[in-house]
Amino acid sequence: MPTATVSETSTRTVALIGNPNTGKSSLFNALCGLNARVGNYPGVTVEQKVGRLTGSKLSIDVIDLPGTYSLAARSADEAVAVNVLSGELAHQAAPEIAIVILDASNIERNFYLFSQVYELGLPVIAVLNMWDRVEAEGLTVEAEVIAKRLGVPVVCTSANKRKGIDELRRTIEQTLQSPRTKPASAQLARAQFPEAFHQEAQKLSEWLHSNGRKTSLYKVDRLLIDSDGHFQKSLCQSGLHEINTQIEQARERLRVAGCKVPMFETKARYGWIRQLIDGAVTRKETRSASSSDRIDQWLTHRWVGMLIFALIMFVVFQSIWWVAKWPMDGIQWIQGLASGGIEAFLPPGALRSLLVDGVIAGVGGVVLFVPQIAILFFFIAVLEDCGYMARAAFVMDKLMTSVGLSGKSFLPLMSSFACAVPGIMATRTIESRKDRMVTLLIAPLMSCSARIPVYVLMVSAFVPAIKYAGGWISLQGIVLMGMQSIGAIVAIPVAWLLKRFLFPGEPATFLMELHSYKWPSMVVIYQRVWERVVSFVARAGSLIFCTTILIWAACYFPGDHRLLDESVATLEQLQRTQAIAPVSLEQTQIEENQIREKQIEEKLGEVNRLRSELIETSFLGMAGHRIEPIVRPLGWDWKIGVAVIASFPAREVIIATLGTIYSLGTGEDEKSQSLQDQMQQARRPDGRPVFSLATAMSIMVFFALCAQCSATLMTIRRETNSWRWPIFSFVYMTTLAYIGAWLTYQFFESWS
Amino acid sequence: MITDSVPLPIEFLPCDSQGTIVEMCGRPCQVQRLEELGIRQGCKVRMVCRGEPCLICIEGRRISLRLGDSADIFVVPTVE
Repeated sequence: MPTATVSETSTRTVALIGNPNTGKSSLFNALCGLNARVGNYPGVTVEQKVGRLTGSKLSIDVIDLPGTYSLAARSADEAVAVNVLSGELAHQAAPEIAIVILDASNIERNFYLFSQVYELGLPVIAVLNMWDRVEAEGLTVEAEVIAKRLGVPVVCTSANKRKGIDELRRTIEQTLQSPRTKPASAQLARAQFPEAFHQEAQKLSEWLHSNGRKTSLYKVDRLLIDSDGHFQKSLCQSGLHEINTQIEQARERLRVAGCKVPMFETKARYGWIRQLIDGAVTRKETRSASSSDRIDQWLTHRWVGMLIFALIMFVVFQSIWWVAKWPMDGIQWIQGLASGGIEAFLPPGALRSLLVDGVIAGVGGVVLFVPQIAILFFFIAVLEDCGYMARAAFVMDKLMTSVGLSGKSFLPLMSSFACAVPGIMATRTIESRKDRMVTLLIAPLMSCSARIPVYVLMVSAFVPAIKYAGGWISLQGIVLMGMQSIGAIVAIPVAWLLKRFLFPGEPATFLMELHSYKWPSMVVIYQRVWERVVSFVARAGSLIFCTTILIWAACYFPGDHRLLDESVATLEQLQRTQAIAPVSLEQTQIEENQIREKQIEEKLGEVNRLRSELIETSFLGMAGHRIEPIVRPLGWDWKIGVAVIASFPAREVIIATLGTIYSLGTGEDEKSQSLQDQMQQARRPDGRPVFSLATAMSIMVFFALCAQCSATLMTIRRETNSWRWPIFSFVYMTTLAYIGAWLTYQFFESWS
Repeated sequence: MITDSVPLPIEFLPCDSQGTIVEMCGRPCQVQRLEELGIRQGCKVRMVCRGEPCLICIEGRRISLRLGDSADIFVVPTVE
């Protein structure tokens, strides 16, 4: 009987595991507060969430494992859970306790996962969560009886109402402090496996041992049960190819002995569960449809459901437009204040230009769009948490099968509307590799939040502010929604082509649990919105900041700015004198003021001329003129061309780049104006406006379809473990974007 | 409560009516997946929304299903 040897002062680790939708996130938040650290497990892209248990004398880390129905290790998520629990992950010791969360109102199925975790040999605590639903659903559950039969602590909680959390905390502490015991093998569900299986498992274990691969009994079981399972593949990859033959032969012997692999496992486990809960759980027979069913009849209806989905999306995008207006005005006001402050304290020169034209006009321009991003994430989080998103996936399954995918692909695609990186990572829940690849390749086409700044800037500047339905619906909101949907519309034929030529096969089966509707948890929503906003601002502060500095430098050098700085200094001096000049009716004073006004006007002209000369002859200007022939067919001038090229690492950069180019290049009298106004007033050498509706639309379509995100491409690389797919994504999306932008420009030019 | 004796594929269960799963067949790993989700022989199931995919209710949990050729679930409708 091994005893815990870890000292009281060192950090202890416990892991949280459970089926999806058992309130695991709420329980994790209740135990750890809002200070979770999110990262990846070493070597794999499965998200790892770790928090520190609050309100405990001991220092205890809580690992939140991905929600899963079984430890069958068919997917990367499940394999990570097994590896973490058995301490076989590099640089990470096994947790000291496995806390299994079970939905108290659906005990039978939830104990299936428990029966597997129990076999890993760790001390286990069973948490019967959602205890409040037990009574509501007419159930009786005798937790003490189950605890006695299992021989492990059982705690009843309602995590969303913060009930039972203190007891769970005490139980964790007590379990950590008591000597560690292993359950007797007769107590495990495994004891109910057929005798032939036990013999084969023993043989395989010895064979692995003799080949230098000491493997836990649980993994040996999985090797025999899961055809083409994760552990078999990883053993094969590590060079032990013979394992395939060994397993095949063992399975054949089991078949002859009458042991049906893998079916005997579920039979044995449910048999074990039935004995465990016999007489301890009773369910009232219910026939009537619940309120969730009544809502579902509409929301999952073939046509009505689709219509409701379209309507919800419409409301979301209209709200982004309306609600974000006020906070945006506030941010703009602060930026104006900051620029004014710097200009008052610093004399004209490179440093002032860097701060005002580079940092404030560039990075500040991107930060301006935080409200929109927060609102989008808020809506997505609400729809997900209340249970609607799963219904939308159900409704969309019919549509998805027409392009060869399944409803399972819908959720990753929907979350790509917020950001393609988590969207691509979410494709891991798709079991079919072909479906997963197609979903992963079309996910970057979904309009992510980083495109919003581009759309909002272009739409507010160049789409007429026409309102319909008494001001409730705006044309700008409609165009914004159109832009948000264009990528998804283009994704349909792309998915069809990919599925037809690169990944042919029938659509995968669709099997998904839809959890009951519930009021969204404000804590969960706050966390999701906050995480995304922080990461957006961090990106603006790092990648976008660096790009902005480079763009500023390319715009500022190699020109000689001495003359310009002198002129600006003289101009500012004149303006200051003019501002404090006494208003007098005396003839001499009036004349003096008029002369100064004339001088100001002349100086202003000179400064404007110098500014545009300097930007035209800067490194960026020279490069811009080179690429102009490529971007001219799309209706862009060199400034837009440069800004678009600069935004390939991250699409938000275009705002920063345009901000810097226009801040450096526009006249002094227009400097206080917003980027939107500066763009509206920008003229080509022949006097025509640079931006027309056609140009704006062509830029937006380009951004909707182009793969301008290094983070997304890197995620595709990581998830597919090959450079081929990110390169493929980049090439196909950029080609699509160029053709799309060209067609759009031609259409709007001929139309206007 | 008596049960009709003719088993039928789950897709044919009328909306809002109940049945008992009597047989599940198909690809072994697919059947195992279904069982892990709690869809097992002997379970009472209610059809919430028919079609492809359909929405069924088992022990108060709603599960959407489109199995294609990979597996078949046969139910005996419950007649009250």
